[in-house]
Amino acid sequence: MIYVDNASTTKISDSVFEKMLPFLREQYGNASSQYSFGAKVKRAVEVARKQVAVALGAEPSAITFTSGGSEANSWVLRCVAESHYNEPVHIITSTIEHHSVLMASRALEQHGVEVTFLPVDNMGRVSVESVIAAIKPRTKLVSLMLANNEIGTLQPIAEIGQLLKEKGILFHTDAVQAVGHIPVDIDNLQVDLLTASAHKFSGAKGTGILYKRPDLKLSPLVFGGEQERGLRAGTENVAGIVSAGYAIEESVAEMPATSKRLKEMVKATVKGIKEAIPSVRVNGDTENHLPGMINLGFDGVSGESLMHLLDLRGIFVSTSSACTSGMGKPSHVLLALGLSEQQAKSAIRISYGRYNSVCEVDTVVTTVCDACAKIIANR
Amino acid sequence: MKKKCCYICGKEALSKNEIGLTKKLLGKDSRRFYCLDCLAEYLEIDTEFLLAKVEEFKEQGCTLF
Repeated sequence: MIYVDNASTTKISDSVFEKMLPFLREQYGNASSQYSFGAKVKRAVEVARKQVAVALGAEPSAITFTSGGSEANSWVLRCVAESHYNEPVHIITSTIEHHSVLMASRALEQHGVEVTFLPVDNMGRVSVESVIAAIKPRTKLVSLMLANNEIGTLQPIAEIGQLLKEKGILFHTDAVQAVGHIPVDIDNLQVDLLTASAHKFSGAKGTGILYKRPDLKLSPLVFGGEQERGLRAGTENVAGIVSAGYAIEESVAEMPATSKRLKEMVKATVKGIKEAIPSVRVNGDTENHLPGMINLGFDGVSGESLMHLLDLRGIFVSTSSACTSGMGKPSHVLLALGLSEQQAKSAIRISYGRYNSVCEVDTVVTTVCDACAKIIANR
Repeated sequence: MKKKCCYICGKEALSKNEIGLTKKLLGKDSRRFYCLDCLAEYLEIDTEFLLAKVEEFKEQGCTLF
């Protein structure tokens, strides 16, 4: 089996798994309990909070744990809008955001919030100028992703952050695909809010991270308890939180070496496939992108069929068009780049991760090329 | 609608699953269709594997099956 869908989720690190395991077995106390059995668990949560804070260059008090990136994204959009009750609210985002941002924005529109969905260029980049042009007196929030989940393009977040800071507009970045993969520093990015997810960097599923500038007031997501400083009530997912702490620490420590290797693997993949299929299209920004991610388009080939043929060979990639009928909708991200519906449906995403080895690249390249040949021969 | 037959062995009146598998694995624009055995041979895999995939696709709610 060759798993190259690490943008979807990652294998949990063995050492991280060992660290979280005690909190699923012998150290099962409730972190909110006052006795020592609970206090010990609470300490583990706080250690994790500090680990995450150090990795992001933030204060521990600025970190809140959630159930995942989608929850954190939805929370930011809804609560920022709700905090301006009875005021006109305008939010700026982009057309290529994750659905947790796009759908939350659409839902807010139903409640009278005005949302501007910024276009992107053919590489998936939002321009700083378009952000400036979209700002209105009632703009309360700008939410733009740091790295796109389908094409890996990185946005000029630091540049936009500087601009928005000067204008006093809240800035949120969905950094789910970036944290643990590229350096992410709160001060450098100049964001007020940032979201991440542990299972994207070899932590456990079910743990998200929200960075919130310490002096920023955000209304609670869940009421009924003092967990997470009263912002998100409910007994903590201690094992998941512990995994997030150790996983981010490990990912950051290994980042330089991993990143270098992943870039080489992506380069070799493109080169190998281009030799056999010169018409292959690389979707997204080939310079400013996540180190292990590549989105490829094959004319005359259904991305979904290609994904299934690779699956039959034990290679797991993803297609941008989620589909259950064979006639799925094309990716909103690829359409936003200006691709036709047919081109968008011809794409697959390969996302290498820290557990992939360079020797797997040849197999991936050969199998992709063989599968494309079988599909094309059948047309 | 004209019934589809296998491009390799000529088996007539391919089943919904056989037509669905061809479309799912080789594209909805496929001009050639295959019976289960010939598709397995073309893709160099076991027929049992393909049958398991049919069940997987059905569980996912795919309307091709």
